[in-house]
Amino acid sequence: MLNYIWAGLIIFSLVFALAHDVSDLANDRYRNGQPVPVALHLDGYRPGTRQHAVTVALDSATLARYGGALSTAPLRWDGTLVVSEDGRELRFAKDDALPEPLATIRRVTSPRENDLRGVFSFEAGAGDTLIQGSVEFAPVRFVKLDAITRAAFDFAETAVTIALGLIGALALWLGLLRIAEKAGLIESFVRLVQPVLRPLFPQIPKDHPALGYIALNLTANVLGLGNAATPFGLKAMEEMQTLNPEKETATNPMVMLLAMNTASVQLVPPVLLVAIMGLQVNQLFFGILLVTAASLTIAIVAAKLLARLPRYRDTDPNRADAEASAAV
Amino acid sequence: MHTVRSLIDILSVFVLPTIIIGFPLYGLYKRVPVYEEFVEGAKEGFAVAVRIIPYLVAILFAIGMFRASGALDYLIDGARPLLGLIGIPPEVIPMGIVRPLTGSGSAAIVVDMINQYGEDSLVVKMAATMFGSTETTFYVIAVYFGSVGVRKTRHAVPAGLIADVAAMFLAVYVVRLLFG
Repeated sequence: MLNYIWAGLIIFSLVFALAHDVSDLANDRYRNGQPVPVALHLDGYRPGTRQHAVTVALDSATLARYGGALSTAPLRWDGTLVVSEDGRELRFAKDDALPEPLATIRRVTSPRENDLRGVFSFEAGAGDTLIQGSVEFAPVRFVKLDAITRAAFDFAETAVTIALGLIGALALWLGLLRIAEKAGLIESFVRLVQPVLRPLFPQIPKDHPALGYIALNLTANVLGLGNAATPFGLKAMEEMQTLNPEKETATNPMVMLLAMNTASVQLVPPVLLVAIMGLQVNQLFFGILLVTAASLTIAIVAAKLLARLPRYRDTDPNRADAEASAAV
Repeated sequence: MHTVRSLIDILSVFVLPTIIIGFPLYGLYKRVPVYEEFVEGAKEGFAVAVRIIPYLVAILFAIGMFRASGALDYLIDGARPLLGLIGIPPEVIPMGIVRPLTGSGSAAIVVDMINQYGEDSLVVKMAATMFGSTETTFYVIAVYFGSVGVRKTRHAVPAGLIADVAAMFLAVYVVRLLFG
């Protein structure tokens, strides 16, 4: 299932990105190769000077013809006219608010500097304070294709940041858990919780430490202790993996723990939600509790029932044991 | 309800220090060489985090690409008439679809919705309830299975998604029942 979802995400992103870009090209959304008429106001043109500070004026009707929206506000931006042997370049001021499609053109063609740039052609001058001309931007094509490529690399980096960010909390908790294990705490905890947990995790043998870590994981989740819940859960996975004859395949108890975790057993609203909504969260407390309890029950039932489907029953790493106990 | 809430809040505050101090103290009492054992256990932290990386990269980059492609908007438009039939307001559909995929993305949706519809609106309450009552399914799957090198996840994804879908419907109905 994960294979199909994963491949689906990638294929769909390619298909939708391509469709979007082709429709952009068909509609000529960025008016590639068509110069935009602009007027430059400046303090005085001084031949031989490399850079002139200018005010760029564009009228709304022109922009609308260029694919933008009509607006009543005057379209004026600060900019710089750079004159060199290679020609004249108009640079819009950095980080200025620009209307579409200019904003997208800037994002794509000048991502680092974030100033819109284009080749300026001189048409007419009035005195030396006003220059009429037009500016042509670099062609913009395949915006979405570019965006998904960039997203792929960005998120790969995010993934590593997240994983490495776990190291501290993981090391702390795994160290503490090791002490607890050696002191016999986990053992006594297992005896305490197994009457409740064994029915949910029947494939974990009696008195096995995995049950203790599962209980710790669920408790930490209930109390909203996110940074403790993950290490407890991973320790539980490690213990369950020792019982797994096929190391690459999930066992039923693993899936049960995952289902319970993805359904969330949290009693306290997540920190992020409290940060966003503030005190408003209080009135949602009861509703969240209700929905959490119900979806947790559904997750448990789903994990139990799905395990009985032939395709999942036949891939169970412990299927030999299951058949043996069924025969008895 | 308030006393239950504050009880849990107080418990949450005390649990962590109790464990962090209690485990080593109890270890001392049981004559465990606490420092040596702590370091032995903590050694694993780095290895586990590194083991998760490939799984997390796989999941997150695919989700990131999917989000950047704009496919979500089409998906949401497609789901709208269908879900409208069973009483799901169109405003909460983005939340329902994004929630299992990304935590930060769904938090951003709550923020957007608050700006657009106001904190007191029913749809914001529904979205926040969805956010609060489920987890980022694909992230949890990548981290937990990644840490032990399990690649064949069997029915973990369907079970998680069934719970997510159920939570989406339940959030809508429960909020409507409580506030509607």
